[in-house]
Amino acid sequence: MGPRSKDLSLLQVENNVEDDADDVIDDPSEEEESESESESEQEDVKLMEPSKTAIYNREGLVERLEDISWPENVDWMHKLSLDIDQEKEVDVNDDLARELAFYTQALEGTRLAFEKFESMGLPFLRPPDYYAEMVKTDAHMQKVKGKLLAQKRQIEEAEERRKSREAKRIAKEVQAEKLKERAKQKKQEIEEVKKWRKQRQQSGFKDGKDSMPDFGFEDGKSFERSSKKRPGVSPWDRSGGKAKQGGGKGNDKNKKNRDFRDSKFGFGGKKGMKKQNTAETTNDFRAFNKGGAAGNKKRKR
Amino acid sequence: MGKKRKHSETQTAEPRKKDEGAPERPKRTLMGWKDKDEVNQQTESSPDSPQVFRNKEKVMVTCSRRINYRYRHLMLNMVSLLPHCKKDNKVESRSSKGATLNELIELRGCSSALFFECRKHQDLYMWMARCPNGPSVKFLVNAVHTMEELKLTGNHLKGSRPLLTFSSNFEKDAHWKLLKEMIIQIFGTPKEHRKSKPYHDHVFVFSIVDDHIWFRNYQKSVPHNESDKMVRGLDKMTLVEVGPRFCLNPIKIFAGSFGGPTLYENPFYVSPNQIRALEKRKKAGKYAKKVKAKTRRKMHEQSNPLEPDEFADMWRE
Repeated sequence: MGPRSKDLSLLQVENNVEDDADDVIDDPSEEEESESESESEQEDVKLMEPSKTAIYNREGLVERLEDISWPENVDWMHKLSLDIDQEKEVDVNDDLARELAFYTQALEGTRLAFEKFESMGLPFLRPPDYYAEMVKTDAHMQKVKGKLLAQKRQIEEAEERRKSREAKRIAKEVQAEKLKERAKQKKQEIEEVKKWRKQRQQSGFKDGKDSMPDFGFEDGKSFERSSKKRPGVSPWDRSGGKAKQGGGKGNDKNKKNRDFRDSKFGFGGKKGMKKQNTAETTNDFRAFNKGGAAGNKKRKR
Repeated sequence: MGKKRKHSETQTAEPRKKDEGAPERPKRTLMGWKDKDEVNQQTESSPDSPQVFRNKEKVMVTCSRRINYRYRHLMLNMVSLLPHCKKDNKVESRSSKGATLNELIELRGCSSALFFECRKHQDLYMWMARCPNGPSVKFLVNAVHTMEELKLTGNHLKGSRPLLTFSSNFEKDAHWKLLKEMIIQIFGTPKEHRKSKPYHDHVFVFSIVDDHIWFRNYQKSVPHNESDKMVRGLDKMTLVEVGPRFCLNPIKIFAGSFGGPTLYENPFYVSPNQIRALEKRKKAGKYAKKVKAKTRRKMHEQSNPLEPDEFADMWRE
């Protein structure tokens, strides 16, 4: 009895004391231990002399076991213990394999126990309507649930982000393709016109026949807005026509203004305002606010 | 003993215990059961004899002072897992530990004890002892994960009897067998205990890997769509970990409770203090090694002089 010191350096002393105190048959068992020691010593250099004097009192152990164990004919129901065979050696450091081994051991045990219980006709698993105190509180389980949901949401968001990135990239490519197409088309048409002109030149401008090839851009279709665009939405409108600007108050004025500008400057909206004033348009005041200019200038100061 | 049968479903055909004119209270010793059951005669007589085995195990769970928060939570987890335990106050220092603890156990009327001792706020040692004069084991506890960790998502009835599974290594050697028996008695909930609940919905796993005993606690979960109660699609059963988790490294087995002659010492055990000391010693020599390396280099250079380099003056102005 007395304090058990944990330092292995004191082990020698303790061993001597205990050797006097009990009848220990150390030597044959020690040899076994020392054999196993020499193998482990290569891996674990820290093990040195003390391990060789480790005590192993087999008879004492067996005697104690008999002392404490329950009588032989005790029902299995009291013990509820199962021995599961572990087929292969599990490496301690491989976390996944180790946990898997434990899991399979538990599953095997459950299966065996289930069979035993069924043969005895006893209920085994908890029915879903049995409510009683659980080992973790409901509040705690709420937290667990919250965490799981948060994890799931994170994963989904990451997925979405990735998908949208992909979609954007593809859309960009498609757009680039379209632009190239258009440029090509334009070039082609210009080439055609040139060719036709040269042809005409060569044949001396003589025929009034319509040997004109029908240019694809002549039917006025390009002046129409593409049907893809939404009717009430201007092409420069980033919000897609869904933003409301101050109700219906300013709309009529703006629309009129806008429409006039469109017809004047045509396809391309704001950026197409490349045309400058002509003789007719210098005095064309349709686009301006009626008489509001003077008042505004005063207020802005 | 009054039969407070809350769960009538779990009544088995076990014969009712009748006190066959046993005049005195049975002693709560290990021999007590043997006297009542008359083991030697029982093996010959029919199994339905009136003396029936009763598991009267009571475990006292305590800890030392200055215990860490994590280990305290582990102890509380153990208390909630074992309905047949009694939690006691913190025990003072180590001077006469064995005697004090034995007295405490006797006082509470328990037959075994789980004592958590924390040294230096870092290392946890667990003692498993059988009270009156039974063997006791001291373990070093590693890799502790308590039930409060949010990654352990399972849950089970508080006090339901666990299913104990052991890996087959436990039969390999005498000390493992002894440990297995102690574990069964301490961790197994007695059958008709007052606080125990019916149904067995969790499993304990004790497995020996690398000479350590690993403990896991799983909940058996089955999808609820099955209408049939008994045969509930056992193939679809999954196990969810409830926790706690820990790993026990046996240090010594003593013949008495918290003391006595040593029956077994683990030859591979190195105390954590020693490990820390060794690491420090490894680091301590850094400066000395550096100085030595420098002098060595100087000697080497002196003994093997370099030839003068012909291009050394090329860029000099």
